[in-house]
Amino acid sequence: MAEVKLVHVAKAYENGPRVIRDATITVQDREFLVLVGPSGCGKSTLLRMIAGLEDITDGDLLIDGKRMNDVPPKDRDIAMVFQNYALYPHMTVYENMAFGLKLAGLPKDDIRQRVSRAAHLLEIDALLNRKPKDMSGGQRQRVAIGRAIVRNPKVFLFDEPLSNLDAKLRVQTRIELQKLHRELNATIIYVTHDQVEAMTLGDRIVVLRDGDVVQQDTPINLYNQPATQFVAGFIGTPPMNFVPGRLSETGPLHFTSKGGQVQIDLSNSQPEARLQAHRGKPITFGIRAEHLSEQPPAARSVHEQALAVEAVENMGNETLVYCPIDTGQLIARLPAGYATTFGQPIRLFWNLDKAHFFDAQTGQAI
Amino acid sequence: MKKQIPYWLVSPYLLYFAVFVAFPVAFSVVLTFHSWNIISPMTFVGLDNYRRLFSDRLFWQAIYNTLRFLLVHIPLQIVVALALAEFLNQKIRGQAFFRGAFFLPVIVSGVVVTILWQQLLGFNAGILNRGLTALSLPRVAWLEEPGIAMYAIALMATWKNVGLYVILFLVGLQTVPVQYYEAADMEGATAWQKFRYITLPMINPTIFMVVVLSTIGGFSLFIEPYIMTEGGPLNSTLSAVMYIYKQAFQYYHMGYSATLGFFFALLILGVVAIQKRYVEQEN
Ligand SMILES: Nc1ncnc2c1ncn2[C@@H]1O[C@H](COP(=O)(O)OP(=O)(O)O)[C@@H](O)[C@H]1O
Ligand SMILES: [Mg+2]
Repeated sequence: MAEVKLVHVAKAYENGPRVIRDATITVQDREFLVLVGPSGCGKSTLLRMIAGLEDITDGDLLIDGKRMNDVPPKDRDIAMVFQNYALYPHMTVYENMAFGLKLAGLPKDDIRQRVSRAAHLLEIDALLNRKPKDMSGGQRQRVAIGRAIVRNPKVFLFDEPLSNLDAKLRVQTRIELQKLHRELNATIIYVTHDQVEAMTLGDRIVVLRDGDVVQQDTPINLYNQPATQFVAGFIGTPPMNFVPGRLSETGPLHFTSKGGQVQIDLSNSQPEARLQAHRGKPITFGIRAEHLSEQPPAARSVHEQALAVEAVENMGNETLVYCPIDTGQLIARLPAGYATTFGQPIRLFWNLDKAHFFDAQTGQAI
Repeated sequence: MKKQIPYWLVSPYLLYFAVFVAFPVAFSVVLTFHSWNIISPMTFVGLDNYRRLFSDRLFWQAIYNTLRFLLVHIPLQIVVALALAEFLNQKIRGQAFFRGAFFLPVIVSGVVVTILWQQLLGFNAGILNRGLTALSLPRVAWLEEPGIAMYAIALMATWKNVGLYVILFLVGLQTVPVQYYEAADMEGATAWQKFRYITLPMINPTIFMVVVLSTIGGFSLFIEPYIMTEGGPLNSTLSAVMYIYKQAFQYYHMGYSATLGFFFALLILGVVAIQKRYVEQEN
């Protein structure tokens, strides 16, 4: 059992502004929770407060209901894997993994057993006598995870553990981390700035921005129901298309893009009721690439428009088509093998049932 | 023409090197085979100077004195310098002041420091003995007792030079990435365990540098005993360099003095080589 709870937690570094303003997050027992957000938003700070490496300025940290704010790191039953691994360079892999156990005064046999079990699990048995400098990045990373595992902690903290690996190794390690999570049966709190990592690993994701928790939910809910324009743009590849514009003040409900190129009739559409309160106000229209198609979708309301084509990316399994519009660009995700003649416009059907609307001032979803 | 330019460019240094390094070294090697009192012409004596060296009890006593000095000076220097560096590496108030204060004796003239310490170590009115008296302890004959004088000088030399080594250790400590300490914090290491298992191994190169520098510096011990004790009592603080100096400039045995100096340089080289060997094995 290990449930980690942050209640109205805030953090200000010495004489600085608050870099975490008010975070309330519950990490359930054995959950894989991912903290994601752009660089500098406070992810590491939050993780280090849980670890006990930073003081908590305000609010409470509870582990299994016990307040941990003033408990030293070693007594929190937490292990952390650092971004650059922080393996002791003068110790072998075995010594690195055994260090904490030795300090804790475990019997030698016990230490040997635990280290070899972890080494076996991570397939680093053959490396036990090597020094960190004689290993690849991927191997070091395994050792760093091994050092965390041997202590058998209740909670694992990972701070961008894949960021020093090349793209291929990152994909492979992602899968192994999932496997590891099942095998360890432990609570994991994982920090990354990479939304793909967050989507693929997290049972639940917490999106951070400038020290604020913007949304926390399952990956699929974040994708389908982003609470703000920031989340909508951050989660998903390619990012959601945004068209800034305005709703009609009177008459049938109508959206007009800033330059007037996009005119969408919203009367009798599914979101109509929600949007009434925003008549006459600036809003941002959002639609994902897969909701723009060549064939009319089976949907209650559809918008149809011909657009010029600027670029085509053939990915093999799909084709991304880039269309310039007055307020920027639209990306459509079309089936594989779509061929276009440049200079020829493309007719796209917009599935308005799947469209998103954001208050242009606050960025909140409507 | 073009080919000559580099030679012209290095010629000032070559000239300096020739006059102040190469020539004196070569000349002193030549001197070791001669007897010379500066005034009369040199006379060739073959290996006489070397023979004399090996049976010169006072020279060996001076070497022994110097080693006794080093035995106290080097460990004391390292321990005190490292402790002060650790202290200054914390976030403390007045950090800049302390860093300056510990370095001050390094730049003050050795003569001044020595005279100052002569006062501190005085038998009757010295501050150290007054302190002992105040604690109802017997006074110590710091500079008058043959068994103690050299160690009192080692204490003073450490005080004078420690600032330099504090700076070296500070630089060493600051190169240890903070992550290692954080990782150790997570694993429950105490302050001592972090020092023992992380700091010490990681500043090993600095420790070696300090050992070598203070060995070389310690071997050249001269000003302190020369001013404070003139080598006494009973030649117990006569250092090797001081003896070489006396042979040259009190007795004008230039050839013999050069021989001693030459031999002494080889000795230092040997000691440092052994130290290096030892440290390389550690890694
Ligand atoms: N030790 C520190 N002292 C002062 N400010 C810090 C310190 N560490 C991080 N910050 C600031 O806190 C903010 C959040 O940093 P961090 O938690 O490292 O972000 P992230 O891990 O999301 O990239 C940044 O603005 C950063 O400059
Ligand atoms: Mg970070």
